Amino acid sequence: MVMKSSMEEDEAGWGLGIPEKMKNNANWVDITQDFKGACKELNLGELLHDKLFGLFEAMSAIEMMDPKMDAGMIGNQVNRKVLNFEQAVKDGAIRVSDLSLPELIGIMDTCFCCLITWLEGHSLAQTVFTCLYVHNPDLIQDSAMKAFALGILKVCDIAREKVNKAAVFEEEDFQAMTYGFKMANNVTDLRVTGMLKDVEDDLQRRVKSTRIRQGEQRDPEVELEHQQCLALFSRIKFTRLLLTGLIAFTKKETSSVSEAQKLMSQAADLLPAIHSTLHHGVQSQNDTTKGDHPIMMGFEPLVNQRLLPPTFPRYAKIIKREEMVNYFSKLIDRIKTVCEVINTTNLHGILDFFCEFSEQSPCVLSRSLLQTTFLIDNKKVFGTHLMQDMMKDALRSFVSPPVLSPKCCLYNNPQAKDYIDSFVTHCSRPFCSLVQIHGHNRARQRDKLGHILEEFATLQDEAEKMDAALHSMLVKQEPQRQHLACLGTWILYHNLRIMIQYLLSGFELELYSMHEYYYIYWYLSEFLYAWLMSTLSRADSSQMAEERILEEQQKGRSSKKSKKKKKARPLSREITMSQAYQNMCAGMYKTMIALDMDGKVRKPKFELDSEQVRYEHRFAPFNSVVTPPPVHYIQFKEMSDLKKYSPALQSADLYMAASKHFQQARLILENLPSPDPEISSEKDVCETYFRLSFQVKKRVQYLKLNRMQDYVFYASALPEIIHVFTKVNRILKVAKPNIVVMKLLAGGHKKETKVQTVFLPACKQSESFGHVVAHVVTPRIHRHCHVSIPSSLQAYSLHRYILHPLQ
Amino acid sequence: MLRALPDLTICQQMEMSSLSTSPARQKLENLLNKSMRIRMTDGRTLVGLFLCTDRDCNVILGSAQEFLKSTDSFSQGEPRVLGLAMIPGHHVVSIEVEAESLLTA
Repeated sequence: MVMKSSMEEDEAGWGLGIPEKMKNNANWVDITQDFKGACKELNLGELLHDKLFGLFEAMSAIEMMDPKMDAGMIGNQVNRKVLNFEQAVKDGAIRVSDLSLPELIGIMDTCFCCLITWLEGHSLAQTVFTCLYVHNPDLIQDSAMKAFALGILKVCDIAREKVNKAAVFEEEDFQAMTYGFKMANNVTDLRVTGMLKDVEDDLQRRVKSTRIRQGEQRDPEVELEHQQCLALFSRIKFTRLLLTGLIAFTKKETSSVSEAQKLMSQAADLLPAIHSTLHHGVQSQNDTTKGDHPIMMGFEPLVNQRLLPPTFPRYAKIIKREEMVNYFSKLIDRIKTVCEVINTTNLHGILDFFCEFSEQSPCVLSRSLLQTTFLIDNKKVFGTHLMQDMMKDALRSFVSPPVLSPKCCLYNNPQAKDYIDSFVTHCSRPFCSLVQIHGHNRARQRDKLGHILEEFATLQDEAEKMDAALHSMLVKQEPQRQHLACLGTWILYHNLRIMIQYLLSGFELELYSMHEYYYIYWYLSEFLYAWLMSTLSRADSSQMAEERILEEQQKGRSSKKSKKKKKARPLSREITMSQAYQNMCAGMYKTMIALDMDGKVRKPKFELDSEQVRYEHRFAPFNSVVTPPPVHYIQFKEMSDLKKYSPALQSADLYMAASKHFQQARLILENLPSPDPEISSEKDVCETYFRLSFQVKKRVQYLKLNRMQDYVFYASALPEIIHVFTKVNRILKVAKPNIVVMKLLAGGHKKETKVQTVFLPACKQSESFGHVVAHVVTPRIHRHCHVSIPSSLQAYSLHRYILHPLQ
Repeated sequence: MLRALPDLTICQQMEMSSLSTSPARQKLENLLNKSMRIRMTDGRTLVGLFLCTDRDCNVILGSAQEFLKSTDSFSQGEPRVLGLAMIPGHHVVSIEVEAESLLTA
């Protein structure tokens, strides 16, 4: 059982109303012998119990003295005494003053590891609170340790607050309980950052005084002190910057987000120095008790055992110090990305931002920071815009409804204003929910996307009514204009997006069996993407209609003939991408049918169910949607029936058709005009990579990093390298080999072999258009193929799959 | 969620109803739902409501609280709440009940 964060904070008590007398002053009479004797009279297997207590309850009791179920037992198994902070100080087991530099470095590094382990979903009791120093920082006399302990507590407190507020976590993501511990609330944030700065300044003086001087003989001891002071200084400064950055996120002004971004960058700059000085810290000592974990001085893993519920897992595995720096660097990158969201001001752009951010499977802290940055205190977007205004802007740029056009008579009509205002107000909640859904972890999103379709169905209904009402009002005064399906188109667009995301997430989460692919891909290509493209076209024509009217009105004024500059239509890129996706899905759909014809698709023996049952289960959430109407199984079978073609289609025909679809997708993608970050050709990819690695090299030289590990680490941390492969390129990497494989299959290659076809996800993350079809030469070898950066498409060339067995 | 299981087999039920309750069995039944204190082999003490036992003296306590080492619990601080706990018979050192519980017929 896992404790949810919403529970009361003072859980340490857990009083159940058992009378006081039970504890110590009742008259306890020993009945051991009588009891045992009486028990012997029971039959074998017989239970003596109250009428209301049965096997079911008996089964759910925890068994004492079983290490798997009895947490309290562990304390008895270890030879060392488990002391809390005050006891340990009294005992002399831990020191609160005169801590050496290596000790401070080691304790701080271990604390960082605990912090990260907590952020990855473990409980505070088994991570940060295993550090005895944070139990009561007031007792610490060493100024560096004291400041650090307070700093860590503050970081935990703010992180916890943010995650709770954002509410985009589930029990597998995060444990918020603080078990009644004090989170340094008696000290202000400013005081703590001030204390850290004081320690920093002290250390900086020591660093300066131990520096190499010109012409002096270098004393190794002084050099060591210099290195260790520098190491400690980096850690204290890192803590201060991290804390100050998180504090910036708690402010309401949008400007503080940019400030946070700067602070995070500064913190990241310290990571190489931390990485190169990890070895200076004292390591954990191995406990002589058998089966125990190494204990770090100042830490007691079992100190909080009795606070945990009985069924908690025993140990939380704290990450190693070497991984700690890498994790921090990725975390800071994610937080810096989060800060970018304030540069997007339109609603659709923000939704896209959230979707793309989510695709990286970011951690709970960065997801939460993104949520709370978007809706500050759940009232206004970025603290400045009203959600209703953002939606009106989105409507205007997407479909240009006359009611929102200043040149339309409806614009100032009070009744029309009422209609549109109430409409966007009703839209606020579902759209905010949609944004929140994209903040959850990938697995949880699918389910929630299915549910929100119901709310959007209601919105669709309302949109239709609004459109009808506004249209009838409009035609009375401006008969040449129309207001049909304006709002409806906008809602439909979002509906379709959600439905498509829902189906695609099934691929990502590996929920579908291979024999189901064909109808999923059918639904996407023949139905959803077709609808999406027509919806986008309709929105486009609506925009053009509005533009024409504006031009007419302006023509009267200016005598100059405006040069007709051919500007790209705002929705053209999206229409083109949808076309590409549709072709990919259509190709996959036909491939699956063809493979089925050739007997290469393993189907289950339908005993208690049928394909119809599974089909309807997969598309069940779509039943609440009105437009587009859900396609039922019988309908689907009719629509996809190949028998209507004569002469009858062979698998070779389908392979060729699939190949043409992939070909088409490739043409579309390669001809995309690329705005800044999009790269569409192999040559560009290579060029960008070389350019970036040159940048890395220059920075490495600037920072005077000496060790190879640091260089590699730093290079891998540069986000630009990781993001070189953009969406377009990822799809291309799948389309190209698929074209070739399809042609080969059409040519009858390996048709007779009874081998199982293996689908290789083209890259680790999503992009389910990414099923590279390959034939495995021997049935035993199945392997997932990961994209390693950089890879030229040579790695995908066909001969690897068809001619050689996959290693 | 799990389905409720029948608590006893038909066979056992028939057995229970056919046997007349001996004094020892009756004593045990009288102790049901009374508070009980059990000392375990590792020195811990559990206090809870007696709910179930069997031939091997495995005991189930409800709303059980765990006290460390000494039965004078205050010196140890807060007890740990376990809920439903089962103590295997071979780990039971001593069983105590409140004097009042023995008086009820």
